[in-house]
Amino acid sequence: MRSRRFLLDKVLISLVCMSVVIAIVPLASILYYVTIRGLPAMNPGFFTKLPPLPLPGAPGGLGNAIQGTLILVGLAACIGLPFGVLSGIYVSEYGKNFYGLTVRFLGDVLVGNPSIVVGILGFILLFRPFHGDNLYAGVFSLSIIMIPIVSIATAEALNLVPSSIREASAALGIRKWRTSLLVVSNAKSGVATGALLATARVMGEAAPLILTVGWSNFWYAGPTAPVASLTYAIWSFGTSGLQNWVNLAWGAAFFLIVMVIAINLAVRLLTRGRITYA
Amino acid sequence: MPSQELEAAYEIYTQYEGMRNVSAGPKLEVRQLNAFYGTKQALYDVDLAIEPNKVTALIGPSGCGKSTLIRCLNRMHELVPDARVKGQVLLDGSDIYSKALDPVDVRRRIGMVFQKPNPFPNMSIADNVVAGLRLNGVRDRGRLEEAGRRSLQRVYLWDEVKDELKRSGASLSGGQQQRLCIARALAIEPEVILMDEPCSALDPTATAKIEELIAELKAQYTVVIVTHNMQQASRVADYTAFMYLGKLIEYGETTALFERPKEQLTERYITGKFG
Amino acid sequence: MPRLVDMGLDKLNDMLLEMATLSENAVAASIEAYGMGGKGDKGVEVREWSKHLQTLHHQVSDLSMELIARFQPVASDLRFIKACFEISYGFYRFGRYALDIIEVVDIFGDLSKCDRKAVIETAHSTQKMIRMSVDAFARRDVALARGIPKLDDAVDDSYRENLRTVLDQKKDIRCALSANLILRYLERISDHATYIGESVDYIVTGVEPSH
Repeated sequence: MRSRRFLLDKVLISLVCMSVVIAIVPLASILYYVTIRGLPAMNPGFFTKLPPLPLPGAPGGLGNAIQGTLILVGLAACIGLPFGVLSGIYVSEYGKNFYGLTVRFLGDVLVGNPSIVVGILGFILLFRPFHGDNLYAGVFSLSIIMIPIVSIATAEALNLVPSSIREASAALGIRKWRTSLLVVSNAKSGVATGALLATARVMGEAAPLILTVGWSNFWYAGPTAPVASLTYAIWSFGTSGLQNWVNLAWGAAFFLIVMVIAINLAVRLLTRGRITYA
Repeated sequence: MPSQELEAAYEIYTQYEGMRNVSAGPKLEVRQLNAFYGTKQALYDVDLAIEPNKVTALIGPSGCGKSTLIRCLNRMHELVPDARVKGQVLLDGSDIYSKALDPVDVRRRIGMVFQKPNPFPNMSIADNVVAGLRLNGVRDRGRLEEAGRRSLQRVYLWDEVKDELKRSGASLSGGQQQRLCIARALAIEPEVILMDEPCSALDPTATAKIEELIAELKAQYTVVIVTHNMQQASRVADYTAFMYLGKLIEYGETTALFERPKEQLTERYITGKFG
Repeated sequence: MPRLVDMGLDKLNDMLLEMATLSENAVAASIEAYGMGGKGDKGVEVREWSKHLQTLHHQVSDLSMELIARFQPVASDLRFIKACFEISYGFYRFGRYALDIIEVVDIFGDLSKCDRKAVIETAHSTQKMIRMSVDAFARRDVALARGIPKLDDAVDDSYRENLRTVLDQKKDIRCALSANLILRYLERISDHATYIGESVDYIVTGVEPSH
């Protein structure tokens, strides 16, 4: 009967719309709360001052946490991006064999690896030898998280490049490594997307940092000392009872979310009009 | 701006190159060629002699092995995973499959144009034409510009694009893109040009232009063309080879093959009795 | 499954078979008129048939061109079309010579007192050759086609023999001349019959005709 199908249609459409609303509500409320609570904490002092003493009303900022996060993420990227991109190139261009398939499989597995497990690895390998929080352990853990993400994203981006380009290049007598470079240059935006998304991901990691770099109330003091980070601050300050510390935590949360949104916007800009190679 | 002496010297050079191609025997000789994709055999004991400065067409129904054969001529077949080749392909008498030869060098002497025009999408027209030179290490701007202009002139594209050399290669029409790909293949100065159904993706006017170009190119190069269009083979080819199920059934001068084929199978195919 | 061009090729074949029948009948009628000494008015029939044969020949020519332009035929199809054009010309010429023979009979009047034996014998050979050429075409019989030239020699000899006697004889110039003219036409008909045989050979084997 036509009217029954019409009714079914309406019911399903409303269910779908409701589901979307239900899915969006938490996200929207996160953004709302973080903005409401975090925006007031955004003042120049937030970026330049060290954390305040645990006294009510004490002034301070999270300058060292911002510095720490930038150092950690920056150095992790220096290791994670090259290894990730190169392994992605290998899997896509050279790895049509058992070894390559294994690398690909492991990459897929490690992408979903719990970050605390990576943290434990960093703890055992690099924390203990240095007898304390240190930069090497943190950077190591973060780069371990980054590599599979970048690798898989690179391999996917390269796979999307049509094989006609590889064929044309080979037929011109161009060497294999140069052909691979050509393919990569055709997938630039896809590779960049992977890199940016991996960076955004590790920016928001807390567990590995807790286990490896700990916390410092001072500016960066060398690789064998603890390093402050925004995520640690959110966890540590946010669960303390002190109002000024909680405010700073909200500020950190707000700042982090703004960074992540900025990175995602950059990804959008990169991939506009050329969705096929994303 | 090249001087007149340079131009004259170049003319002599091209004539010499043309003469160099006129060797005593066949340009390419295929001997007992067998080709495999993993365990599946695609070519069975193919023997074929490609004459220099002539156009040779490979015709046959889908799956007959003509594309596989042409890709064995410039060692592109082995780029497919699990593909292998048994037998010999002699270029001017030397086996291109010998262990001493680098496949990359073979492909610089035997160029290829594909069915779907495939200019490099992120390069300009000028960069596309000389890609084979530049990506192989040639840095001299003057030499690149000269080679690019010459190649584009040879395919009659120069006048159409000379003011827009910076435009993307993909912004041209289908027929122009295919001529661009031919120019790109010519820029590395090969001796043989292989064409795998070069006009399949083009409209009749563009097809006619490419066919006229092929007829001109044979003065300087040896051309092998795969086509599923028999009328195209009878228009452009001096020699035609008919293949079926991986075997070479008949090979001969085009007029003879199309007027009085020797094999029943050839007769049935070209008159459309089994298509 | 029949190809697009097959319809045209079949039509070509039918037209040629029609021409074969017409031309065979025309020649037979003209010889019969001669045999009867010039009596009867077969002339009208033969004239009509000859005209029809000319029309058919032009139609065959047009159809051949059309098939070539539309279907770009190759191999045996192409050879068939080329041969059909040549063979239809042969049948057309049969009709024309039959007309010529009838005109000789008409113009020369009463020939009943002439010695017509040689001509009649030669005519039978020629008619046999016509039959062979028609059959060879209808059945694409190469062996039969290759047998036609053997009979041609006899016809040629008869013609030349008679040519010599025309000058010697003090006989009736009418008989001698009419016999000679008709023998000449018969000789041409035989030549065309051999050409038709060669065209049939060409269709099947691709061997180029010598003419």
